[in-house]
Amino acid sequence: MAEAQLVQGNEACALGAVAAGCNFYGGYPITPSSGIAEQMVRFLPGADGVFVQMEDEIASLAAVIGASLAGSKAMTATSGPGFSLMQEHIGYAVMAEVPCVIVNVMRGGPSTGMPTSPSQGDMMQARWGTHGDHSAIVLAPSSVGEVYELTVRAFNLAERFRTPVIVVYDEIVGHTRESVVLPDALEITDRVRAEGDPEEFRPKAITPNGVPPQAAFGDGYRFHVTGLAHDERGFPTEDSQVAGALLTRLHSKVDDHEDEIVDVETFMIDDADLAIFAYGIVGRSAREAVMEARASGIKAGLIRPRTVWPFPAEHIARAAEQVDTIIVAEMNLGQMIGEVERAAQGQAEIVGHLRADGEPMTPAHLLALITNVEADRKQP
Amino acid sequence: MSRSEIRIAGAGGQGVVTAGRILAEAAILSGKTATHSQVYGPQSRGGASRSDVVIDTAEIGFPLAYNLDLLIILSDEAYTKYRPELDDDTRMIVDRDCAPDSTPGSATIFPVVATARSVSGGVLATGVVALGVLQQVADFIDADTLRQAVGARVPAKFKAMNLDALEAGMGLVGATT
Repeated sequence: MAEAQLVQGNEACALGAVAAGCNFYGGYPITPSSGIAEQMVRFLPGADGVFVQMEDEIASLAAVIGASLAGSKAMTATSGPGFSLMQEHIGYAVMAEVPCVIVNVMRGGPSTGMPTSPSQGDMMQARWGTHGDHSAIVLAPSSVGEVYELTVRAFNLAERFRTPVIVVYDEIVGHTRESVVLPDALEITDRVRAEGDPEEFRPKAITPNGVPPQAAFGDGYRFHVTGLAHDERGFPTEDSQVAGALLTRLHSKVDDHEDEIVDVETFMIDDADLAIFAYGIVGRSAREAVMEARASGIKAGLIRPRTVWPFPAEHIARAAEQVDTIIVAEMNLGQMIGEVERAAQGQAEIVGHLRADGEPMTPAHLLALITNVEADRKQP
Repeated sequence: MSRSEIRIAGAGGQGVVTAGRILAEAAILSGKTATHSQVYGPQSRGGASRSDVVIDTAEIGFPLAYNLDLLIILSDEAYTKYRPELDDDTRMIVDRDCAPDSTPGSATIFPVVATARSVSGGVLATGVVALGVLQQVADFIDADTLRQAVGARVPAKFKAMNLDALEAGMGLVGATT
């Protein structure tokens, strides 16, 4: 077994990407994500890979999409301002069904905000930042070890579903070094490649699982790539039936497979009176706070989504039947809390602990909050 | 041992970040878990520097320090910034040259920076001298493991000098200053 080593979060992202088979990085440096680029430029040239520093974040994701269409496993990484610039091409990758990974190391916003302070302010942008109707797969690691694990998973999901996958974590997770033991063996998914007669090739063919086999440029298959609504051959169409069927398929290829994607850690929830919903770095404070609350006799539990989109509504609905109160703690002024309210359907009281001042939420903060909520619960 | 939190605070160029990484890596070599964090903000450009290390025998929950067990202060600015944040339970080690008259009696004062200068001719080894002091005053880490971690982290051509700095730091404890 591998030995424990001290690894920084952004370094773990790069290690995970390379382990997943990433061989193309196109990016533009921005704090607090630059450590990922710094590591990728070390790893890729020696591993038959390509690292390109592009002129901006728009071009970065364009390069990533091009590399993926040529058969590479490709990624970029950025932070809030750069993530804003990438939104147009995220939509393009959804529409053209181009597997790729986009990492957003979140910092304080809006705009250039607080470059070296943690934030969870991009949760809705990760879901709805690009225009139009679309599904989204967004993963939210909370530790250095999980950054590695979920970066690998992001590549696997991108290849499996032929879609961009976004990884979001905050500045603390990105910059902190932690002891981790990197796994010896990984399960790696590769895209289903086109087979058969090139004359018969349909780049957007409708298949039983909703994901068309993909040809790479140079494989000998001719195909057209566009962000316009298109038919099975990949050419633009304004036929409402064809366009409608495409949009429905793009949704259902993800949404019908939520069970394969959604990943939630629950902790001490089965007999809980109150639960705390937290993700990323806040999830770790929350777990400690739950343990301390339990030690003082409060029946607290934790719901920590490792995939934030698709939203784990069923987990919330089940928890809402069990507990009286769900505390939502996030480093923004209220983003995932709306989803929790929607999923709980009035079965539990929802209390927000929302903060966007660049300061982390410590276990002590959250324990005080749990204690107050418990006092209110007992004396309504 | 349960969770321990150590902060090494000083000035840029004193090797404070490297010292924190060495401490965390030494903890891992001893079979413990550890985290290390440093300051990235504008303050890191203004001359101040800081390493926080959390060490535990179990998995570490929240990775940042928020309830310090030990604070090592190596510059005037660090004293001004971090001293007021301390609660009474935190042990404090202060460099002799930046300890004001008002330094509380509970603090321990050592000539850390002066020792680094005498060993290396500069201040770059200050953090490693501080690790030597820390090793002697607290039982976070054993001396041999710390020597091993220093040797693994610093560039080969500075290894001997850093090991000397570490020994000099250990030697400060118990000596008359």
